Amino acid sequence: MRLLALAIIALVLMGCSNDSDPAADKANFTRIYDNNKYDASFYPIDAKQTPDGGYLILGGRRIQDSNFSGIYILKVDELGGFISEQEVDENYVNPIGPLLESGGNYFFFCMTSVGLQTQLFQLDGDGTISNPVSVGGSYPAASATDGNNFMLLSYDNFNKNTVVSVVTPSGSITQSKGFSIGAGDAVEEPIINHFLRTGKQIPFLVGKAGSQFYFNGFYNYTLSLCFTNLLADDPQGIIQGQQDDGGVSQVMPLDGGKFALARFNFGDNYFLPNATLNTSGISSSTDLGGNPFPELVGYASVKILRTTINSKKVAIYGSDTRSKQIALFGYDESSGEFMGSRYLGFSNPFEIASIAPTADGGLVICGTTFVAGRFPRICLFKLSQDEISGSFK
Amino acid sequence: MKRLIPLLIILSVSLTVQGQFKKNKGAIASKPSQQSKFLEKQWWLGFKAGTNFSQPSPIKRYTVTTPTNYAQALNDKVYDSFSKTGSQATLEATFYFKGFSFSTQPTYRQSRFSYTNQFQWRNPENSAEHLVLKYDQEQNANYADFPLLIKYDILRGKLRPYVQVGVFYSLLINANKSIKISGTDYASGGINQFSNQEIIVGAKDLFHNYWGIMGGAGLGYNLGNVKVVLDASYWKSMSNISNTSNRFSNDRLTGVGDAQDDLDLNNIVISAGVLFPMRFLSNSFKTLDR
Repeated sequence: MRLLALAIIALVLMGCSNDSDPAADKANFTRIYDNNKYDASFYPIDAKQTPDGGYLILGGRRIQDSNFSGIYILKVDELGGFISEQEVDENYVNPIGPLLESGGNYFFFCMTSVGLQTQLFQLDGDGTISNPVSVGGSYPAASATDGNNFMLLSYDNFNKNTVVSVVTPSGSITQSKGFSIGAGDAVEEPIINHFLRTGKQIPFLVGKAGSQFYFNGFYNYTLSLCFTNLLADDPQGIIQGQQDDGGVSQVMPLDGGKFALARFNFGDNYFLPNATLNTSGISSSTDLGGNPFPELVGYASVKILRTTINSKKVAIYGSDTRSKQIALFGYDESSGEFMGSRYLGFSNPFEIASIAPTADGGLVICGTTFVAGRFPRICLFKLSQDEISGSFK
Repeated sequence: MKRLIPLLIILSVSLTVQGQFKKNKGAIASKPSQQSKFLEKQWWLGFKAGTNFSQPSPIKRYTVTTPTNYAQALNDKVYDSFSKTGSQATLEATFYFKGFSFSTQPTYRQSRFSYTNQFQWRNPENSAEHLVLKYDQEQNANYADFPLLIKYDILRGKLRPYVQVGVFYSLLINANKSIKISGTDYASGGINQFSNQEIIVGAKDLFHNYWGIMGGAGLGYNLGNVKVVLDASYWKSMSNISNTSNRFSNDRLTGVGDAQDDLDLNNIVISAGVLFPMRFLSNSFKTLDR
C-alpha cells in the first residue's frame, strides 16, 4: 500500500515537470504575422525589444498610390502574440531602419510620397506614433544612432550627392556634408531602383568608427565605403566597389580599430570577421579577400550584430541562403575564429531583415517569409540564450 | 486541484480494497478446504495485444501563424477524436487474491492522432484572387507504458467479468509527424486543386513522458488451465504530453506554421490475450475449474 502511494506521488511529480512553461514560451518562439488579404505585402526593416518585454517591428508594405513602400508598424507581446498594427498614412513612404533609440523612444526616417522630403517619426514602446518632423533633404537611405543624435545617409537627387547628416531627435540637422555620385543618369539609376524596390537592394550604411564617420553609398561613380570627418569636401578614406556590382555589404566597427565586414563582388559574397581597413587613402574592396560563401544568394543582404556569448565577444553575421533559409554565422571578435552556425526557417522561403539582442540574453531575428510560397509576411524568431550558446561555441 | 481528485479516488479505492481483505480473511477461514484455500490466491503471467484509439485534448494552444487582421480561431487546429487506430502489445503479471487482483502490465503502445487547420487568403475586390490551404497533420507516438492496476472479479465462475482501475506512466520511445498540404487556388485562371508532397519528420523532441489514470472492464474466461481475457480501458493523461521547450525547434514544422499545442492524450485501449497460472497444486489439478 505504501509502495502504491509512493508510486502515485512519484508519478505526480514527474508529470508536473512538463506543465506549461511561460519562461520557455518567452525564451523560444517563432511567429509569422499573417494578413488574409490576397494582395497584401509586408516586409520588416527592424525589430527591437521594448521595456515591457514585447517587440516593436518597423516594416514596409505595398500601397496603391505610390511606387514607394508604405510604412507598417507592428507591436507584439513578449510571447510574440499580436497586439496592434498601424498602416501609416500613405503620404509617408520609404521607411528606413534601424529603429533608433533615444530618450526612451524610438525613431525612424522616411519621406513624403510627393515631395520626397525626409521625415522623422517618433514611436513609444507601445508603437504609438506621433506626428512626423520634417528634416529636409530627400531619399533617406540609411541611419544609425550617434549618442543621443542620429546619423542619416540620404541621396540628394537635385545635386546628385550622397549626403551624410547628423540629426537631433527633434529633427534639426547639426552637421551635413554631400559627396558627388558622379555625373550622368547611369549612376543614379541603381539608386532610384533601390528606392522603388525594382532593382538590387543597395546596402546603404552609415555609422561612426571612433571619431570618424563612415558611409556606404555612391561616391565618384561607384558604391564605396567612405570615411569622412564631415568637414573636408572629399572623404579621407575610400574603399571602392565595382559600380553597383561590388562593394561592402555590411560593416561593424570592432575594438582596436578592426572591423567585422561583409563584401560582395558580382554576386559572390565574402565575410571578413576581423578586418583591418584602410580608413585613409583609396583602396579596392576586391583586395580585402575574405571567406567566400557560395551558399548565400547573390548580392545577399548581410546583418552583423556584436554580442557576448559565454563571456566572449562575438560578431554574428546573418544572411540569406540559396535554400531560402536565414543563416547565422558566429565569429570570435578578437580572433575572427569561426564559432558556429544556425539556420532558421524551412519549407517556405525566409529572408533576413534584422538581428537584435534581447534582455534575457537571447536574440530576436526578424525577417520576411513567403506564406504558402507567395504572400510576403513578417516573421520573428526568438532564440534563447541556451540555444545561442549551443550554436556558437 | 482537478487533477488531484482522480488520485484521491484511486487512493480511496485502494484503501477500500485493503479493508475488504481484512474482512474477508475471517469469512473464508471459516470454510477451509484445500482446493478453495489454494484458489484464494494465484499468480498469473501472460500477454495480450490489441488496438487503441486516441483523443488529443489541447490544454493550451500555440501557433506560429499569428493573424493580424482576422480572428485566430479561424486558424485553430481541429483535433480528431478516436479516429485513428493504434496498436499495443502487453505483458501482464497479476497477483489474484480473493476476487481482487493487483496487476502490472508493461505495454508497448503506438498511438496515432491527427488534426487539421485551414488558411484562406482573399481579395474582397476580386473574387478570383482566392487561395485555400488545408494542413492535415498526423502524429504517431510510441510509448512504453507502465500501468499499476487493481482489478475486481464481479463473478467467480468460469466466465469472470471484472472491473479495473489504475495509474500509468508512459515513457516516450519515438514519435514522428506527417503533414499533408492541399489546397485550392482560384487565381490560376481556373480552379486549381493541388496537393503537395507529404512532409514527414521525426518528432520525438516535440513529445514528452506523461502519466495518467485508467479505468475499464473486461472478461476473463477459464479455458482449461489458462485464462483468456478481453478488456477495454479508458486511459486519461494527467500531464502534458508535449515537450514545452522544443515547441518551435523543428524548422520544417514552424516553416509551415505548425507549433505543438500543450496536450492531454486520452486513449481507449482494447486488448485480448491469454494468462497462465504460476501456482499449481499438482500436475493434474486444474486451477481454474471451479
